[in-house]
Amino acid sequence: MSKNIDLEQEGIQVKKSCCYFCHQNCGVLAYVKDGKVLDIEGDLDFPTNQGGLCSRGNIAMKHLDHPARVNYPLKRVGKRGAGEWQQISWEQALNEIAEKLSKIRDEFGAEAVATAGGTQRTDDWARRRFMNLFGSPNGFHNAHLCWIPTFMVETAIYGWCPFDLDLDNSRCLVLWGQNPGASGMPEIHHIMDLKAKGLKVIVIDPRYTETAAKADMWLPLRPGSDLALALAWLHVIIYEGLFDPEFVDEWCVGFGELADHVEQYSPEWAEPLTWLSADQIRESARMYAMNKPGNIQWGTSIDQIGKSAGAAMQARALIRAITGNLDAPGSDLLTGPSPDFVTDEEMEANDQLPDEQKAKQIGSDKFKMVTWPGYSRIAELTKEVWGKAPTAEWMCEAHPPSVFRAILTEKPYPVKALLVSATNPINSYGESKLTLEALKAVEFLVTCEYWLTPTAMLSDYVLPVAGALERPTITSSYGCADFLLASQRAIQPMYERRNDYNFWRDLGIRLGQGEMWPWETVEDAYYSKIAPLGYGVESYDEFVENYRYHFPEREYQKYKRIGFATPSKKVELYSSVLEELGYPPLPTYIGPSENEVDDPDLAKEYPLVLTTGGGFMPFHHSEHFQIKELRFIRHEPYMDINPATAAELSIKDGDWVWIETKRGRIKQKANLTQGIDPRVVYTQRGWWYPERDMREPELGGYLESNANVLTSVADDDCDPLSGAWANRGLLCKVYKVTDANEKEAK
Amino acid sequence: MARYAMILDTRRCIGCHSCTVACKVHNDLPLEMIYNPVTTIGPTGVFPNVHMMNLPLLCMHCGNPPCVDACPTGASQQSPEGIVFIEEKKCISCKACIMACPYGARVPNHEKGTVQKCDFCKERVHVGKLPYCVQTCHQKARIFGDMEDETSEVYKLVNSSHPVRLLGELGTEPYAFYICESEVKL
Ligand code: SF4
Ligand code: SF4
Ligand code: SF4
Repeated sequence: MSKNIDLEQEGIQVKKSCCYFCHQNCGVLAYVKDGKVLDIEGDLDFPTNQGGLCSRGNIAMKHLDHPARVNYPLKRVGKRGAGEWQQISWEQALNEIAEKLSKIRDEFGAEAVATAGGTQRTDDWARRRFMNLFGSPNGFHNAHLCWIPTFMVETAIYGWCPFDLDLDNSRCLVLWGQNPGASGMPEIHHIMDLKAKGLKVIVIDPRYTETAAKADMWLPLRPGSDLALALAWLHVIIYEGLFDPEFVDEWCVGFGELADHVEQYSPEWAEPLTWLSADQIRESARMYAMNKPGNIQWGTSIDQIGKSAGAAMQARALIRAITGNLDAPGSDLLTGPSPDFVTDEEMEANDQLPDEQKAKQIGSDKFKMVTWPGYSRIAELTKEVWGKAPTAEWMCEAHPPSVFRAILTEKPYPVKALLVSATNPINSYGESKLTLEALKAVEFLVTCEYWLTPTAMLSDYVLPVAGALERPTITSSYGCADFLLASQRAIQPMYERRNDYNFWRDLGIRLGQGEMWPWETVEDAYYSKIAPLGYGVESYDEFVENYRYHFPEREYQKYKRIGFATPSKKVELYSSVLEELGYPPLPTYIGPSENEVDDPDLAKEYPLVLTTGGGFMPFHHSEHFQIKELRFIRHEPYMDINPATAAELSIKDGDWVWIETKRGRIKQKANLTQGIDPRVVYTQRGWWYPERDMREPELGGYLESNANVLTSVADDDCDPLSGAWANRGLLCKVYKVTDANEKEAK
Repeated sequence: MARYAMILDTRRCIGCHSCTVACKVHNDLPLEMIYNPVTTIGPTGVFPNVHMMNLPLLCMHCGNPPCVDACPTGASQQSPEGIVFIEEKKCISCKACIMACPYGARVPNHEKGTVQKCDFCKERVHVGKLPYCVQTCHQKARIFGDMEDETSEVYKLVNSSHPVRLLGELGTEPYAFYICESEVKL
């Protein structure tokens, strides 16, 4: 296509768009003529990707007009899942949905309407605004598995969550359960540049990943044992005197208590739990603590280990704190919220949700950190010091598995409607069978989507959503960073696709929220966000065309001026906020959700340790399986298994195998690799087969290879702080698929 | 006159296949055609002492290209800047060039009845842009430029980091250079 298009021809406009296939939002230049995109390429001037685009980014044109895209509002006419649709107008769809929602509200209360979201590639503040005005506290995301618990736990300890890096000034980088080589593409090149100049890189990951292959030190720990490792690091750093005494003295409270508390957690203690040698643990802790300044990056995996997740985040946060690697040059920076532009939180209208509705948020009685009890306290503290609170959408959510259970059991009360946007819960939420039952049982299901996913197939309405090139985008790290990067639409949405913003707004207007939605277009709304920056522009597009970014001047060690946003205004190694909420104020060891030490009987039946949930190229979560220009790279799902283990099980490379946990089994192909411990297996997540029959009962083979059939959302397996469920470190067994066992029901 | 070359820095390549996909999409290639596959070697060794290397491949734009010599119609050519390309109108798909190329860099297009290959995105290069695979590589593992220009990155890298030429012993004089940590065998 592109080769034959003359991009120098007259009438071509170059639009500063972005990629939307992960939330790095790499800069894209779109060549547009007569309302059509002729070609795209990575924007060489964009600060993060500098012209680069990963494989997904490169298929934007294929995505834009893919024959399988949903282009018109669809209303179910046949049985649920039968795939019989009637094409209707947006007017009709919105009217009918609004009518149904208001009926449900009248009969069961606003809380009977829940919403599910995916990765942050939608206008989440708009969804939050809608829900607050509607009166329901039951919005949720997969946020629990991705950064949000970390954000909240770290904010409880030192008043914000560091995620801005100052790598150029850094001497050591710890990639803890993170594989930017397969997920954060703009990042990894920067790391490699600096590594060539002497940056030390430690990768903590059970798998020998793309990133581990480039590291100075690789720690292949037992999946889910992060807490034991973090506690042992604390032990080494404190008892070998590698902490920063000045920072600890002046800026931390509770060091004595912490030191006493971690005395028990020696590297020798951690050895059998982590499967690392005490020497490895010592050496790695020293490498980090002695090469100052250093960074410890957040990776999703700690968010995904279930029961011990919160304590592991807490321990990791303390490692940073006691080494003084907080907000100093080359360390992890606490940007705080932007004082300059209007943040997402300020757009959310959280004050419109009455307290009695907040109190009804599902899961907030059990998991307090990422629900209203914890969020309100954090918001109070951060407003005092920073002047603003973190985004509530994401940081303050109903507990998804509990909402699914509420749909099925009507406890604590009935949930009758679920609006799904940018997610395919059957594939992306834990324990797929539970999710599936809930989706089938919920009285009213609406999905905003690009494709007819298994979830969309079960819906009453499917609404077509605009993609990257059809919408503007502001990237500001979930509204929690002080910088922003802005992109514009290349074209107006094709067919009858619409922005999700317009969906929430138009629905809101029909439900009496009109006054609260003054911005007719997304651009209007974005303009109101950036106007206070003072660039003197008249419109959002003008800002993008002329400025595109806003990076405020970096101020190190802001705590010296304003303190940390905690009750004591210091780093609380002994956390009063956690204590107030009823959690241990110091990180205390608990084993992984399922493990051989606490439950040897289970380990007898399920002898291998499972890790799921890692990102892998070229897909993003459960997306892109229908794009053949990507799918050819990984046509079928595979699981990693060590050749020694495979030999014991008579499994050869490329054999289809069952991977089974207590909760069910799935099929993937065996990939024999020395890159994984003989006791561990890794499965690819997200898989479904859009090329198959998408109707019930086949539904695109939605349970066949889907790693979430294996994961656990039992309350006991969830992190007590946040409710994050368990995707990693579970126990499983593996055996070959045969004609005979294929037929057995499991 | 420029002499274009590409350096493949395997120390940086992470095997993400962006280059493969970018090339396929932008050159609008049928599914089975790939100009620039990325091969992963490993992990080799025994857990946990393992090693892995990714080797991005492409047409080497040989200084002494046997494919051009083998072509009976003159469809296979070498431009003055060293870009080896096919003038598709003249190609009769006899596949002699495919046989002659020791790097497997030429692929038949069954739909069009021609042989095709990487041409360093010469249309882009002529207007001062980078080949797609180079621009798209987040890792900057592919470096493209003019070997005649002493200020260019390729010139500097070739002269400072002693890259290897694949199958250099054949005398094809590849203008794709590989920077490797360990020895490569094709
Ligand atoms: S890393 Fe890839 S998917 Fe993510 S924004 Fe960049 S090009 Fe898009
Ligand atoms: S795009 Fe770059 S890093 Fe990715 S496979 Fe190609 S050469 Fe390697
Ligand atoms: S790599 Fe093959 S196709 Fe390319 S110039 Fe050399 S011989 Fe010709």
